[in-house]
Amino acid sequence: MGLRCFIVDDSTDFLDAARSRLESDGVTVVGVASTIDEALARLDRAEPDVVLVDVNLGSESGLDLARRIQTETNVDPAQVILISTHAAEDLIDLVESVPAAALLSKTALSGVTLRRILDDG
Amino acid sequence: MDRRRTSSAVARRLTGLLAAGLLVAAVTGLIKLGEPHVPTLSLLVLYLLAVLPIAIFWGTPLAVVTAVLSVWAYAYFFVSPLHSLLLADAQNAIGLGVFLVTAVVVGELAARLRRAALEAQRLSNEQSALRRVATQVAQGVAPSVLFTAVTEEVGRLCDADLARMERYEPDGTVTGVGAWSRVPAHLTVGERFDLDGLSIAREVRRRAGPIRLDSFAGASGAIAQEAQTLGIRSSIGCPITVGGRLWGVVAASKTNDVPFPAATEAQIAGFTELVATAIENAEARAELMASRARVVVTADRTRRQIERNLHDGAQQRLVSLALRLQTAQTKVPPELSVLNAELDQVHGGLTDALDELRETARGIHPAILAEGGLSPALKSLGRRSTIPIRLTLRAQLRLSERLEASAYYFVSEALTNAAKHSHASLVVVTTDITGDALRVEIRDNGQGGADFSRGTGLLGLRDRVEALGGRLNLDSPRGAGTTLTAEFPLTGS
Repeated sequence: MGLRCFIVDDSTDFLDAARSRLESDGVTVVGVASTIDEALARLDRAEPDVVLVDVNLGSESGLDLARRIQTETNVDPAQVILISTHAAEDLIDLVESVPAAALLSKTALSGVTLRRILDDG
Repeated sequence: MDRRRTSSAVARRLTGLLAAGLLVAAVTGLIKLGEPHVPTLSLLVLYLLAVLPIAIFWGTPLAVVTAVLSVWAYAYFFVSPLHSLLLADAQNAIGLGVFLVTAVVVGELAARLRRAALEAQRLSNEQSALRRVATQVAQGVAPSVLFTAVTEEVGRLCDADLARMERYEPDGTVTGVGAWSRVPAHLTVGERFDLDGLSIAREVRRRAGPIRLDSFAGASGAIAQEAQTLGIRSSIGCPITVGGRLWGVVAASKTNDVPFPAATEAQIAGFTELVATAIENAEARAELMASRARVVVTADRTRRQIERNLHDGAQQRLVSLALRLQTAQTKVPPELSVLNAELDQVHGGLTDALDELRETARGIHPAILAEGGLSPALKSLGRRSTIPIRLTLRAQLRLSERLEASAYYFVSEALTNAAKHSHASLVVVTTDITGDALRVEIRDNGQGGADFSRGTGLLGLRDRVEALGGRLNLDSPRGAGTTLTAEFPLTGS
């Protein structure tokens, strides 16, 4: 059975690229969102196995979204993976205080990586 | 009012006359004692003891009266026929005449000397007062302190009962910035007044120069009413002109009607010029601080903007391209291994380019600062530092963008400095919020001996801290490490 993935990112270009990349690895993208409000409104109904949250959501912060996912949705923090254009090691100190399973550089995105992170958690 | 002034002058003259009578009587008594032993004519000169003090304290006219009184007493008591003003002897008459002229001349000289001494004293007081104010200007004391000091000096020097300094506001009102009174009185400082009624400030502005007012009687308006309440009568006002524009006014007032001496305007002008210099200095300093802050803040903002543009533009595009390339690769049939290897290479090149771009962007402005604030950014900085670092980060709240950037670059530049010059094996970085300031301390165990005069690294740090209105303290004894402590105000940055 394919992994159900929800992606939150403010760049439609990236949403497209990420969707085809993950789907080519057998991951089903069950929903996408560009803002915190959109994400919170759609997440529960999408019933994802994993949620990818961009750290930088334009004027909003993905870290805030991660915190609100924990309190306002049924998604478990262990299912949330922060993603970023920056190298993961640049932002690693951010994630300590944020309820998320991992921080992943967007270039490292693949079905294999997501499964590994979820299995480790 | 006129009657009061006259009556005080009459009282003074009567006192002088009484003193003259007493002194003449005393000297007469003295001569009486010497009479049996010494020729009385040679004792006539003793009457100068009565004339001189009267000349010094009451002036020449009363001295003349005293001299005449002396001659009369001498003629009456010691020259035959006794107890009569007639002089039998021409010699005595000449002697008395000579005495009278001498007494008047000596009295006049004494009176002049006294006036010169008083004038010298007044000038010396004025010079001292000016020097005190000039010293304060040179020391750059706070304007409010200076305004109060000048107001008091002017008040005392002009022998006034009250003195005020007011600043003209753009809306046509004035604000009291300094007040002094000889006797306790309620004088408002910091309060604004309308200039609708009679006031010294209004008259000075209208005349564009010094003015005198004899009375506030019958005048309306807030200032005139206050002046009436305080019993102000005679007043003098001088403009404070800063850079060609009328900035404010200094006013001195008396509760009696004795007019200020003619030189008072010139006296006050010495002070208003000092005040103008101080204000110009303060304004220039404030402008300099503001422009320095703008330079630093603009530079930081530009760096952040460049980083953001790189992130949202090129970096984001390259990431998407790399993902699309990988997607495409999954669709390449396994038998096309050469093509697959070629695409691997392209993907590798793309990833390298992205890494280089990230490196550049990080040097310009670390993304983690914008995303996570000071503490995560400093942790990240510490991880990459060439010298081992221990962090104690107590300032955990998010601060303003410019403050976070300044504090971050402060630490980053201080670490670069330490790595270059200190030969330290450990740097301890501490952040703290104390009161209304962010305190950042960087302490190393290196060779010490750093000071602001050597190299530009430390100066750049100080510029950065002071640009945000903060303070930088350097403690770097030779051989005992270096401690830099920066305090950034939380408000206004």
